[in-house]
Amino acid sequence: MNETLKSFLEGLDGLTLECEARRGQACSLKDVEALRVEFLGRKGKLAGAMVLLAQMGPEDKPAAGRKANEIKAALTALLESRQAELEAASTKDDLAGFDPSLPGRRPAAGSLHPITLAMQEICEVLTGLGFEVVAGPEVENDWNNFEALNMPPDHPARDMQDTLYISDNIVLRTHTSPLQVRTMMSRKPPVAVIAPGKVYRRDSDITHTPMFHQIEGLLVDKGVSMADLRGTLTAFVRQLFSADTKVRFRPSFFPFTEPSAEVDISCMLCGGAGHIKGEPCRVCKKTGWVEILGCGMVDPNVFRSVGYDPEAVTGFAFGLGVERVAMLKYGIGDLRMFFENDVRFLEQFS
Amino acid sequence: MFISLQWLREFVPYTGSVKDLADRLTMQGLEVEAILDPFESIAKIVVGHVVDCARHPEAEKLSVCSVDVGAAELLPIVCGAPNVATGQKVPVALLGTTMPGGMEIKKAKLRGVVSCGMICSERELGLSEEHAGIMVLPAGLRPGQLLTEALGLEREVIEVSITPNRADCLSVLGIAREAALGFGLPLTMPALNLVEDAAAGDAPVDVAGLVRIDIADPELCPVYRARVLTGAKIGKSPDWLRYRLLAIGQRPISNIVDVTNYILMELGQPLHAFDRSLLKGDVIRVAPAQPYLMDAPSITTLDGQERKLLGSDLLIWDAERPVALAGVMGGANSSISDASTEVLLECAIFRPGTIRKTARRLALPSEASYRFERGVDQVGSLFALERAAQLMAEVSGAKVLTGIAMSEPKPWADRSHIFRLERCNALLGLTLTADFCRTTLIGLGCGVDDTDPACWQVSSPSHRLDLEREVDLFEECGRVHGLDRIPAVLPKISKSLESVQMSDTEFGFLQGLKAWAVGAGLREAINYSFVGTEDLDRLNLPASGRIQIANPLSEDQNVLRTEIAPGLLNNVRHNLSQGNASLRLFEVAKAFVADTTSDTSARENSRLGLLVHGARHSQEWPWEQGEADYLDVKGLVENLLTHYRLASQKTVAAYVLEPGHPYLEPCVRVELPGTAGKDEPTLIGRIGRVQPKIADAYHARKDVWLADLDADLLRSLSRATTPVFRSLPKFPPVRRDVTVICPATLKSQDVEAAIRDIRPKLLESLALVAVYAPDANDSGTPTERNLTFRLTYRHAERTLVDKEVDKEHGKVLSGLPQKLPVRI
Ligand SMILES: [Zn+2]
Repeated sequence: MNETLKSFLEGLDGLTLECEARRGQACSLKDVEALRVEFLGRKGKLAGAMVLLAQMGPEDKPAAGRKANEIKAALTALLESRQAELEAASTKDDLAGFDPSLPGRRPAAGSLHPITLAMQEICEVLTGLGFEVVAGPEVENDWNNFEALNMPPDHPARDMQDTLYISDNIVLRTHTSPLQVRTMMSRKPPVAVIAPGKVYRRDSDITHTPMFHQIEGLLVDKGVSMADLRGTLTAFVRQLFSADTKVRFRPSFFPFTEPSAEVDISCMLCGGAGHIKGEPCRVCKKTGWVEILGCGMVDPNVFRSVGYDPEAVTGFAFGLGVERVAMLKYGIGDLRMFFENDVRFLEQFS
Repeated sequence: MFISLQWLREFVPYTGSVKDLADRLTMQGLEVEAILDPFESIAKIVVGHVVDCARHPEAEKLSVCSVDVGAAELLPIVCGAPNVATGQKVPVALLGTTMPGGMEIKKAKLRGVVSCGMICSERELGLSEEHAGIMVLPAGLRPGQLLTEALGLEREVIEVSITPNRADCLSVLGIAREAALGFGLPLTMPALNLVEDAAAGDAPVDVAGLVRIDIADPELCPVYRARVLTGAKIGKSPDWLRYRLLAIGQRPISNIVDVTNYILMELGQPLHAFDRSLLKGDVIRVAPAQPYLMDAPSITTLDGQERKLLGSDLLIWDAERPVALAGVMGGANSSISDASTEVLLECAIFRPGTIRKTARRLALPSEASYRFERGVDQVGSLFALERAAQLMAEVSGAKVLTGIAMSEPKPWADRSHIFRLERCNALLGLTLTADFCRTTLIGLGCGVDDTDPACWQVSSPSHRLDLEREVDLFEECGRVHGLDRIPAVLPKISKSLESVQMSDTEFGFLQGLKAWAVGAGLREAINYSFVGTEDLDRLNLPASGRIQIANPLSEDQNVLRTEIAPGLLNNVRHNLSQGNASLRLFEVAKAFVADTTSDTSARENSRLGLLVHGARHSQEWPWEQGEADYLDVKGLVENLLTHYRLASQKTVAAYVLEPGHPYLEPCVRVELPGTAGKDEPTLIGRIGRVQPKIADAYHARKDVWLADLDADLLRSLSRATTPVFRSLPKFPPVRRDVTVICPATLKSQDVEAAIRDIRPKLLESLALVAVYAPDANDSGTPTERNLTFRLTYRHAERTLVDKEVDKEHGKVLSGLPQKLPVRI
C-alpha cells in the first residue's frame, strides 16, 4: 500500500474519531448544523481529505472511494443521531405543558325544537313509505276546512273542533285535513301525500294549546282498503317507536272518514302491561294503551266534493298530533313548555 | 253521558262486570271514559237507630242521642236538628268519615257532652237541598247497614263519550241496544201500563178534540204529539226516581219535571211539560217567529231571561203568543210551578239544524237541544210519550186524559240502501261472510232483502239516522266484527309522473333552512302565530293589514303576527326572567297580512327570524368575552346567503341603512342586485337592533339584534342557482394591499365598489383585511379610519410579472382619491 493511500485512510478514520468526540458538545440543532458544515460541507473536512483522491493511481482509487463513502455515511449517521436526540428532548419539553383536558374552542351549539325534531322523524318515516310532503295555508276558507270535508254548516260535527274565526267563512285551519281537499282538487289519483303543519283550536288548558302541530296522511288509489291503512300505520309506529309496538283500532267518528278509527299503540313506557314494578304506569294510566292518532277510509262525500268518483277509487286518511308524539318520545310532561322556548328546555334537544 | 248499570239492566239482561261492559262498548266505538261510583262520597255512612234522645243539659237546641249503629255499644251523638227523636232510623257518619263537603268527623265535646259521630241531613249527604232537619229513614232498616245499600243507591256508572253521529246512543236504551248487540243478548222494553181516564170532570173527553195541533212547516216539525194530565200534585219525586237521577248527575227538581228528565235520559226523547191552565185557547201551533212576531220579537224563557229572537227561530205557540223556544227551552209564561195541576205534555221532533242554530246563537245548550240537534227517533217518540205520561200519573197522582192531540204531517219513511258484500270486504280488507253481515244488520234493526246476493236492499231503522249510505252499513259490519281484527297489509304506493317528488318542496326547503340555523349555533323557537294587538303596537307596526281573530281566547292572542319579531321578543322576556342571559334563537314561521285578492283573505309569507342577545360566545375559556353586535348577526346572514349560493360576485348583497324603521335602529336592508342590472334590488330582509326603549319593554338591558328574512324568497332565489365548476388556477397570484384613509362616515362597501369600478385588469378578488380608527375627536368618536384591502391579481394563462401588477394596482392607488374623499 502506498503512502498516499495510507495517510488518506488514516485521515478519514481521524475524522470519524473527531466527529464522535465533538458531537456531544453540540447542544442545539444549530450546533449540529455547524458540525455538519464543518465535516460534510462543500468546503468541509471530508471534502478537504478528498483532495488526496485525485493524486492516487487507478489501482488505489476504488478502495479509497469505498472508504470515503463509508466515512461519509458514518459521519452523517453520527450527526443525524445527535440531531434526533436533541429533537426528542426538545419535543418532550414542548409536550410537558400540553393539557388535553382544557376545553376546546367550541362553536355555539344549535338545536331543533322538539316539535320539529318529532315532525322531521315522522315525515322521514312516511316519505320512506312513499308519501310526498305537501303544504298549504294556515288561514283557510270554510269550504276547505269544513264543508268539503263533509261538515256542512250547522252540523254537530263542527262542535268537535272549537274554531278560531277570522270572519264568517274564514278560519284558522282547525286541522291539516284541508290539505286533503287542496291536494285532490289539484291532482288526479293516485295520490299519496302527507301534510305537516300548524293547526289552531279555540281551546287552552293543561292538555290543549290554541296552536299545535298535526301531520295528515292521504292515500287514494284503486282498491285501497282499511288493511292497507292498518299496515301503513303499523309500519309507521314501529319505525317511530319500536319494532314490537302493537296497534289497536277502535271504531270512532270523523266526518271525513267512514269507517273511522282511533288508533292506540301499546304503551312505550310499560310495554303495554299498564304498570311498572307494581306501580301504575303514568303514561297510559294503567290501560297499557296510548291514543296516538285518528284515521279512516275517505268518506265518499269528500270524494264527491273534490270531483273524484267514489265508485272508482277508495282511500285512507290519518292525522296525528306532533306534540303528542314528542311528549311520548322524549318524555315531556307539560304541553305548555313547548311554546315558552326556554333555552334550558331547548338545549336538551341538541 | 252517564249510564247506570242497574238502569241498563232493566233493558238488557247483562250479568257481567262493569269493566267488561266498558271494554266491549269502547271497542264498539262507544268510548267509555270512566267507571264511577256516584255515591262514593257517602259510601261509609251507616244506618243508625236512635235508641234514646234527651235534651242537652246545657243547650236548649241540642239533643244528646244514644245511637245503635250495629256495634256492641251505643254511640253518644250530640245533634242540633229539631226533628231528631227516639225510635228514628237515621244516617250516621261515624268517626273518621269524610263528608261530601270535605269535613272529617272527629270526636268532639259540645258544651261538655262527648259526641262520637254525626246524624246527617239530606243536604249533608248530597241527596237533596233538604237541611231543615236530619234525614229520617224508613223504619225497617237494620242498624249498621251501609246507607247506600239500604237506600238501593246505584254504585256503578259509566261515562261514555258519544260521537256526534251516534245520537241513538244518548240514552240508556241506546247503550242497552249496543250491549245487546255486543253480547248477543235480547233487548226488553219496559212494559207500558198507561191507564187513561175518559172522565175528566163530568163529560168524557178525548184530547184529540180538546187541543188542536197546527204545524206550519212539516220540514221543521214532522210530528207533534201532546197528552193532557189533570189533577197533578207537584212535589218531590219518589226516592227511587230522585236517586236514579242523582246517580247520573242530574239534579231532581219536581215530580213532573223529573219525569221529563228521566225519559230523556232513558229513551233519548226530550219532552216538555206546560202548565195547561196557563195556555190560551185550545191550539198548539209550531211555527217560526216570522212572520207572526213582527216587531222586536222576544220570549222570556223559564229561567227568567228575555231572549231576542230571529225570524227563523222555531217557536211553540198557544192561541195568542209563543210559549216555548221549540226544542231548546220552555217559556216562563207557561212553565210548571208548584201550584200547577193541569199538564200538557209535549213530545215532538224538530229539525236538527234549526234547533242547533237557535241554541248556539242564544248560548243555550241543553240536554234537549243537544239531542234534537243530533236527531231523535221519530218512530220511537210515541213510546216515550206514553211511558212519560204513565210515570207522571204514578208520581204525581194525576189522571191521564184519553187520547193524544197530534199532527204528523211528515210520517217517518223507511230509507233503503244497497249493500254489496264484495265492496264491503274490499273496503274493510276483511272476508266477512254473508251470514255475518245479514245477522249484524238485522241485529241493528235493519230490514235486509238479499234477493240479489250481490246487491242487497237494506232499510235502516228510525233510531239510526246516521245510516244513510252503503258505506255506513260497511262501517257497522266492520265495527261489530271488530275493526281491530282487520289485518295489516303494507300497500304498494303507486305514483303518477306529475307527483314524483321534487326535492325543492316548501317543507324540504324549510327543513334545510332549519338545519343551516342549527349548524350556525342557533336554537329553534316555536311561537304561537297569534299575538296581542299590544304586541304589534309596541313595535309600532302598522295597523293596516292586520288579520284579527274574531273570537280570540284572550286579548293577548287576538291578531295574527304580521312579522316574526313579536314572538322572538317574547322569548327574550321569558328567558331573561328565568336568568338565561345569552340567547341565540331562530324561528321559521309564517307572517300573515290581509290580502283581499287571496281566496283565504290572507297572504302568508314564511319568514326566518334570527335573534342574538348577550354574550357573543360561550362565557368560558378560551373564548374572548364580548357582547353580540351587528357583525354577529350580519355574519349569520352572510353565511346563510353563501349557503344558498347567493353570495357569488354577481349577487353581492348590499347592506343599506334604512332610517325610520318602526322598531329597529339601526335598521339595515339586505338587498340582492336586481336581475340584468336594471330591476330594483330584491329585498331579502332586514337586520337591526331593537330600539332600546322597545327592548326595555322586554326587560332587555343589552342590545337585541334581529334579522328578519323572507324564507319564500330565499327558496325561489336559491332554486335558480346551480353550482358551475371553474378550473382551478394553474398560475400563482400576486397580492397587493392598499390602506385607504377615509372619513369615518364612508362605508366600506362604497370603497369596495369604487375599487371594482376602477376595473383593474387581472383583479381576481378583493377583501377587507383590517380596520383601524387611529384618531378620535373631542367627543371620542373617530373622525377617520383606515381600511386595508387586499387585492389578489392573477392571470389565467401565465405567471404575472411585477411590472404589469404594478400598473394595474397603480390605477387603484391613483383612482381612489379621485372617486372618493380618501387618502392612500
Ligand atoms: Zn304504560
